[in-house]
Amino acid sequence: MDFVIGIQGEDFVAVAGDTVASSNVLILKHDHNKMFKLSKKILLLCVGETGDTVQFAEYIQKNVQLYNMRNGYEMSPTAAANFTRRNLADYLRSRTPYHVNLLLAGCDDIDGPSLFYMDYLASMARVPFAAHGYASHLTITLLDRFYRPSEFLCPLSCPLRVKCLMQ
Amino acid sequence: MPTVMEDCVGAIQHRFSPYSFNGGTLLAFAGSDFALLAADSRLSEGFGIHNRNAARLHKLSESCVLACCGFQGDCLSLLRILEARVKMYKQTHQRPMTCPAIASLLSQLLYSHRFFPYYCYCLIAGLDSQGQGAVFSFDPVGSYERVPFSSLGSASAQLQPLLDSQLSSGVQLSASQAEQLARDVFVSAAERDVYTGDSVQVCLVSSVEVHRDSHSLRKD
Amino acid sequence: RLAILPSIIRGDWQSHTQCTNPGSIQTPLHHSSSSQTVKKVIEINPYLLGTMAGGAADCMYWERVLSKHCRIYELRNKERISVAAASKLLANMVYQYKGMGLSMGTMICGWDKRGPGLYYVNEEGTRLSGGMFAVGSGSTYAYGVLDSNHRPDMTPEEAYDLGRRAICHATHRDAYSGGVVNLYHMQQSGWIKVSQNDVSELQYKFREGN
Repeated sequence: MDFVIGIQGEDFVAVAGDTVASSNVLILKHDHNKMFKLSKKILLLCVGETGDTVQFAEYIQKNVQLYNMRNGYEMSPTAAANFTRRNLADYLRSRTPYHVNLLLAGCDDIDGPSLFYMDYLASMARVPFAAHGYASHLTITLLDRFYRPSEFLCPLSCPLRVKCLMQ
Repeated sequence: MPTVMEDCVGAIQHRFSPYSFNGGTLLAFAGSDFALLAADSRLSEGFGIHNRNAARLHKLSESCVLACCGFQGDCLSLLRILEARVKMYKQTHQRPMTCPAIASLLSQLLYSHRFFPYYCYCLIAGLDSQGQGAVFSFDPVGSYERVPFSSLGSASAQLQPLLDSQLSSGVQLSASQAEQLARDVFVSAAERDVYTGDSVQVCLVSSVEVHRDSHSLRKD
Repeated sequence: RLAILPSIIRGDWQSHTQCTNPGSIQTPLHHSSSSQTVKKVIEINPYLLGTMAGGAADCMYWERVLSKHCRIYELRNKERISVAAASKLLANMVYQYKGMGLSMGTMICGWDKRGPGLYYVNEEGTRLSGGMFAVGSGSTYAYGVLDSNHRPDMTPEEAYDLGRRAICHATHRDAYSGGVVNLYHMQQSGWIKVSQNDVSELQYKFREGN
């Protein structure tokens, strides 16, 4: 039932995710954060198999932070997305693939906002809007219909309503 | 001529199984100053009996006896390793391993084969450092527990409820009562369980000695 | 007969509730099936408790390894390990064996500088912090009792009663749960064992309406 969504605007990216941690039919936790702050301007949203999500996201998070410490400047969102995808692809061919679906949102000082969609098979696409989880089937069509980047000021009103219904 | 039946059977798989079940039943009581361990001596496989006088009780130290049943091959391997480790401990530390320490060691040996387990059901009986009787009951992957009495192996489903009804109220048996009870329950196990019989070997661990005894059971 | 059946404590389940008042955590839990007396609360050290559900050997072994790591941490750093760190050690250890057939649902509960802590860790490597968990085959029934009667301002005595009640009702509905309810209370000064009750006696008590 995990659900995360991201929408890019003219000078921002808005992301949202549910906070439920469930196992089978049980909801174990109502305030489980699925967002991981990679750096000041990069956010990673991670859903998928429990265990893998936290393990993989924290691994990426620590490596991006290490990059910042070693080089004295932060990784760009594009670089972070490529780094994440590369790791996912390498692990896909190992004996222990990570079953995680990701959204990476970031704002670059030069290139502006960007949103990357990644799935557990290590595909990646830069997109204006994206969603993971069952609720994405319901929200993505709405976004297709109503998404206007230039007019986009109140970003999450419509898909969020659908998300609330879903929950 | 191919029949419908053959079509329905699907793939017949021939897979090598590294395990067998050789029967055997174990029983142990812990008393205030003794522990009693009993096991039958029938080693069987399927419809056949390999040995009517198999040893299932193994003395590990002056105050500790191991009983194991299940797959005889794994039991033997495990026993060799455990005996060696107990001997190494004694030579390193100049004192015998205590019974709870042996139980802990056995648990770790069993768990070290978590993903390809030794198919052994083990009981350890002996005296703890206070001289009280101790019985430790194990599962094949190393979970263990100190209990007042226990039975494992092929007839454990018959013996355990009987012991529960006789002993769970906290009755303290004397050594001779315990031995008599062990003989009686093995007689009844041998009546119904085809993998239990021939003879029951009893081992009484006290501060004085490890006393062994044997009594015959049904041989059919 | 040729298959290997490690004795799995099926149906064992435990529940943990934690009050927000002067930080009390209680760990009721119960035992089951082949043995009615297995200690399902594993005392890692005076400030940490672990619970077991699933494969008895897996829980017993890994929580023993965890207690070793906690002790080593204490000796190296001259201070006690936090509950968050201890639970993460366990989660990382079992995560390495993910998909290989381990079976454990465990709660790590303790007291550190940040006050009371409660974490749920399972064989998939999931690790969640929270105020109230129930684990094991009877957990669904326990959640029913816990969720409907839990208040954030409970006194320790009320929490004890709720814990016992939750376990008791779960053992009534769940075929694999039964035995005794062991109740622990985690305080700033470490855990204490509150009580050990036979569920069949508790059930008569609760049925009389108190």
